[in-house]
Amino acid sequence: MPAPVLLQADSITKSYAGVRALRGVSVDLRAGEVHALVGENGAGKSTLIKIMTGAVAPDAGTIEVAGQRVAHMDPHAARALGIAAIYQQPALFPHLTVAENIALTFESARVWRRIDWASRRRRARDLLASAGASIDPDRDVETLSMPEQQIVEIARAMGADARIVIMDEPTAALTDREVERLFGAIARLRERGAGVVYISHRLEEVFASADRVTVLRDGESLGTWPTASLDRARLIRLMVGRDLSTVFPKRDVAMGDVVLEVRGLSHRPSGVHDVTFGVRRGEILGLGGLVGSGRTELAEVLFGLRPADGGGIRVNGSDVRIASPADAIAHGIGYVPEDRRHHGVVLEMSIVANASLASLPAVARAGMIDHRAERSSASRYVSDLRIKAESVDAPVGSLSGGNQQKVALARWLATRPAVLILDEPTQGVDVGSKAEIHALMGSLAARGLAIVMISSDMPELLGMSDRIAVMRAGTIRSIVPRAEATQDLLLELALG
Amino acid sequence: MIRLRPPGLSSGESILALALAAEVAVFAAVAPQFFTVGNAFEVLRVSVELGLLAVALTPVIVSGGIDLSVGAMMGLAAVVFGAASRAWGLGLGAAAALALAVGTAGGAANAALVSRLGIPPLIVTLGSLSLFRGIAEGLTHAAVNYTNFPPSFLALGQGYLWGVIPAQLPIFAVVAAAYAILLHRSVIGRAVYAIGFSPAGARYAGIPVRRRLGALYLLSGFVASLAAIVYVAHMGQARSDAGTGYELDAITAVVLGGTSVFGGRGTLGGTLLGLLALSVLRNGLQLAALPSELAGVLTGTLLLVTIGLDRVRMTAPARSAAPAMEDVEVRNSQVAVLCAAVIAGSLIVAGTNLWLVRSLASSTSGARTLAAGAEPSPRDTPAPAGHRPVIAMMPKAKGDPYFISCRAGAEEAARDLNVELIWDGPTSLDAARQNELVENWITRKVDAIAVAVENRGGISSVLRKARTRGIKVLTWDADAEPDARDFFVNQATPEGIANTLTDEAARLLGGRGEFAIITGALSAANQNEWIANIRKRLAGKYPGLTLATIRPSDDDRDKAFAETQTILRVYPNVKLVMAISAPAVPGSAEAVRQANRAGDVNVIGLSLPNINKPYVHGGVVQAVILWNTRDLGYLTVLSAAKLVQQAFAAGATSLEAGRLGTIEVRGSEIVLGAPLLMNKTNIDRYDF
Amino acid sequence: MADRRTGSLLAALAAVCALLAIAAPGFFSRENLIDVLLGNVPVLIVALGATLVLLTGEIDISVGSVFAICGVVAGVTALAGAPMAITIVATCAAGALLGALNGALVAYAALPSIVVTLATMVALRDGLRWATQGAWVQDLPDSFQWFGLSQSSYPIVACGIAALLQAALAYGLRHVAAGRAVYATGSDPDAARLAGFDVAGVKAAVFTIAGALTGLAAIVNDVRFNQVPSNAGIGLEMKVIAAVVVGGTAIRGGRGTMTGTLLGVALLAIVGPALVFLGVSAYWERAIQGAIILAAVALDAWRLRRRQPGLSRAAVQPS
Repeated sequence: MPAPVLLQADSITKSYAGVRALRGVSVDLRAGEVHALVGENGAGKSTLIKIMTGAVAPDAGTIEVAGQRVAHMDPHAARALGIAAIYQQPALFPHLTVAENIALTFESARVWRRIDWASRRRRARDLLASAGASIDPDRDVETLSMPEQQIVEIARAMGADARIVIMDEPTAALTDREVERLFGAIARLRERGAGVVYISHRLEEVFASADRVTVLRDGESLGTWPTASLDRARLIRLMVGRDLSTVFPKRDVAMGDVVLEVRGLSHRPSGVHDVTFGVRRGEILGLGGLVGSGRTELAEVLFGLRPADGGGIRVNGSDVRIASPADAIAHGIGYVPEDRRHHGVVLEMSIVANASLASLPAVARAGMIDHRAERSSASRYVSDLRIKAESVDAPVGSLSGGNQQKVALARWLATRPAVLILDEPTQGVDVGSKAEIHALMGSLAARGLAIVMISSDMPELLGMSDRIAVMRAGTIRSIVPRAEATQDLLLELALG
Repeated sequence: MIRLRPPGLSSGESILALALAAEVAVFAAVAPQFFTVGNAFEVLRVSVELGLLAVALTPVIVSGGIDLSVGAMMGLAAVVFGAASRAWGLGLGAAAALALAVGTAGGAANAALVSRLGIPPLIVTLGSLSLFRGIAEGLTHAAVNYTNFPPSFLALGQGYLWGVIPAQLPIFAVVAAAYAILLHRSVIGRAVYAIGFSPAGARYAGIPVRRRLGALYLLSGFVASLAAIVYVAHMGQARSDAGTGYELDAITAVVLGGTSVFGGRGTLGGTLLGLLALSVLRNGLQLAALPSELAGVLTGTLLLVTIGLDRVRMTAPARSAAPAMEDVEVRNSQVAVLCAAVIAGSLIVAGTNLWLVRSLASSTSGARTLAAGAEPSPRDTPAPAGHRPVIAMMPKAKGDPYFISCRAGAEEAARDLNVELIWDGPTSLDAARQNELVENWITRKVDAIAVAVENRGGISSVLRKARTRGIKVLTWDADAEPDARDFFVNQATPEGIANTLTDEAARLLGGRGEFAIITGALSAANQNEWIANIRKRLAGKYPGLTLATIRPSDDDRDKAFAETQTILRVYPNVKLVMAISAPAVPGSAEAVRQANRAGDVNVIGLSLPNINKPYVHGGVVQAVILWNTRDLGYLTVLSAAKLVQQAFAAGATSLEAGRLGTIEVRGSEIVLGAPLLMNKTNIDRYDF
Repeated sequence: MADRRTGSLLAALAAVCALLAIAAPGFFSRENLIDVLLGNVPVLIVALGATLVLLTGEIDISVGSVFAICGVVAGVTALAGAPMAITIVATCAAGALLGALNGALVAYAALPSIVVTLATMVALRDGLRWATQGAWVQDLPDSFQWFGLSQSSYPIVACGIAALLQAALAYGLRHVAAGRAVYATGSDPDAARLAGFDVAGVKAAVFTIAGALTGLAAIVNDVRFNQVPSNAGIGLEMKVIAAVVVGGTAIRGGRGTMTGTLLGVALLAIVGPALVFLGVSAYWERAIQGAIILAAVALDAWRLRRRQPGLSRAAVQPS
């Protein structure tokens, strides 16, 4: 006997300003199952979950929760119906404590109710424990790391006693160990009879955790399959609508001289210390390790965002001092940061303005921008990198994640760097764009660029890197050649 | 969206351009002298100082910041410039350089706090606003007024190039052009937009965020001091209160021009449009002889309607993660609220229009009277009998009860003599606004102008201009340069007032003891002149009297109350409080009464009878000194009317003043009489 | 974080008081303290409302104009012969109405609050000037002054009202769900919406409450006199915002306490008269007050920076 249906979305249709985002999509969620929702960016996954959580209203179609039709869904009603959502970027209140963040989701909505702080704290401690973590409930959320915030989100969903838990790329910022912990928490949710809608670009996770998979493409549902009946290749074909020949491009590059050499580099306040490595022309150096091991911090030291307080940097054989991003750019170092939306691009500005932002002097004369040169340079990158956009004047915020990432790349290619540091270059990017970005990295390396790639995506790290440096507790523990690297070895090095 | 090279107007700007066009059309219809080249240049002249501040604020606001200290910096730079050139013996060039250096240093202080310490600019500049204005007041004791600048310098603010273009306009044009290039063409401008949208994003793109932000605040300090120099040249005086409140007007212009207070969006062209919309509104209201209070009401409405409509039209702000959807979500409620706001706004506008129509009707009826007189005459020759002379009369501040009581007398005379009276003035003390208004009256071709002068040096040149155009000019309440007017209606000299006050104080204290003064604003010119004369009288005649302290009331009754309470505690020997601002006397009296010191501590002052009657009868206030304000207004309008009708001219030694009987004329001064001393016995005879 | 600011404020207050105790002990006379207290009760009441508004990440610079209008409303109502209770209700209602106008434009039309309240500040002030032509409300009935009580019992009533409001709001913000909604809204409006809070409702409510409190402050202030001026409250917004910000409320919302606001008002309230007691010339008073505000916030920012050096996210700030 199949488990009872918790949520049934039927023939959902939704348009934004005349553009169809969803067309007649139906999905159901049963008690105790994990139901994966997959599709490329723009396929309609986000819109569907926004409709399920009441953040937006559908144009047509119905939603039933536990067999009851919901006439009007809004965040309030969704909460009351036991629907909880966990987003990629934790939607927590930075100034409030952990205990309060957890409590706000399950306490009653009565406005004049008295707050019982002691029981809030107790409850939070219990929930955090059952989510598998011990975080002081009195800490302000803004002092927590990203994975810690993710755990708080899960504790929130558990606290709300949610029967329907929607997770939108919850593992994007997590390392493998944290992902495992998350899966543990998901298992506990299932045991309690909850259903989980799970959205992820990491297909391994889909295969590891989901019972059923629904594939969306261009706003339409292609169908729902038991996970066991699918394999990876078939799933990718369904999502993309075509075969992807190879996941990682083969590269045969003759490596040149050492471009970037780092000796004993430190930045004590952020825990980075005694880092030593070198990258050659044409080489892709992978940088692995757990989140929090200091990878991003190291990149920010190299880029001058956190000026080093010890050690030395040599670029093309000469010692340089990098005290600011401007110094880094002057010495040919580019950095595509991890947080694309807040750091990588300026969403409100056009493709043209974003592409030239780090290399304005190159398109300017006497401090005045030559708009024609700027446009032609941007147009070239749009066609070279195959950025899909209505025009080069379109705001970057209107592009898909993959295309935004390409604009971020274009910005740094325009600086004609010798070394490019990529921090999680394909995080939150759909499968098709991911392959394109990988191909691009390959050809850039072939043209002699030295690339440092930070990644938590194990297949990417193993597939793209010539060598892999593993960081732990603020320093590089070991550098492994591609031929010797295996998933187990890297994990072992990362855990110490 | 950011337009890198604006090909046309953005939606907000086109709404504003429409509003501006509507303003021009309406005023051109109701104010005949509005739509002329000369008036267009006058509008530009009075917009220069404000325009400089607005231009400097545009990139600051685009970067997501704000600078509230620009108006205060004008005061400080004006004082430094005035002191350097008039008191410290520096040349004008060196003085200007020093003032600009002070402005830059002030800007640098803001820059350091904002960009180095990362304190929100609203807080930093709220603090530096007090600091800059405070230093200006401290340096000059708020009283020193530097005047007598050389004519070559004053030409910068008052003269014309090629006979038509106001001399300061090129400076503004250069600064605006430089800022336009900086913001829209240069690498730095692009960085400013990026910072405005996303400071972190800009930083990750290698933009030196702190340096760029710092430069903007530094520049805005510099431009504010430049505005101060233009202001001094325009007004002919340098005082610590220069630019008071300008920061809010400048911000209004910038925001009206479509710049987002959240940063990232905005253009310099929009700011110039916003500035024009503000200036034209004020100018038009004055030319149409509508009350200047309307300017505030209409400005507020315009601001809400413009940005409201812009908001509705903006389909994809792309600020948050899911812009399109949230926009759809809030659309309905937005539309509802905006409709309500627009309806409210249009009701106000409709009401105003009704007013406009009525005033239009009355002016045409005036024209009909003229026709009935069967003797049509050119406008600029002295009006013959039968034409209703138009007399424009200006108080220092419209809201002040003192001037309101003057107005009653003025209206009485206008009725009696069948002349048309325009009563308008700044809503609060504002020398620049007075000049602006006189310029507008010249444009409007009134027959006579009577001004209660706030700034003697500044207003004289524009009054001279009025005389050369055949307009009769009088001053009342406070005088201008003697050659700038035909007559001064002198209610009482500062010396006379000071002596009456001091004598009364001495009488009450029996010639010995301490007293305290509560003044208006520390920088109020009238009060400072009275204080100087009081000190003179004390030194000369009453060595036994000591002036213990002078405290400001800012013309606020409640502040006068609190200050008096403190004085009573800190200076127990003070036996008399002399309050020389109209709202301050009841404030001080109430403090004395509540401290149960009535009888022990005397209160006298310069004020109006009505608001003091309870205290005079209660024995708290011993004497209120004032001339008969109603008679002052009456006499001023009467003199103006007789001048226009050529029933009275220079050289006369007396004037037949209707119910006032025969009034003495001394040289070019029409003397109202000695100040009134009102006390328990006679105060009920006066009702104003 | 709020505790840290409370500490520095208490230290600053203690320093000023110590200086006064040595140089001008007369400051601490009972009568003087009551005068200072009564003079600042209205400021405190307005500041409590402003704290609510700032906590949600908005700002209200129209309080000065609203204060003036409410005063006139109180006077006119009393003059019309309404009993004192009705007068008080009418005054607060007028304030609440104007606050609700601001709130509706901010919350439901999604316009930036600084622009909305700038517009209403100018429009209301000039509208009042136009309506009254600067005239004061006079000849008020005897029942107006001191709320119809005596001069000696009024301080108890006024301080009682302020203390009650202070306590109720402090308690409500900390221990009542509605208060937490204010923090949640200011901390992250998007997250608050997702968590099921009525963000627009919260914002509209705080503006309305702030308006009502401004009305209350106006009548508490004006009953100390027997006539109502029509130009009251000029510059009140700056005074109030300075006090709230010095009290540790973040200008971008989400952080701040009523206790901090109380201390901020107290510090700024003492500085003015203290300078007179210490014999400082009135001409330098404004400069000193500006310097104190700047020093307070700069010291605070400097201490914060020393605690968390080199963090990339702390380096720059919007608006």
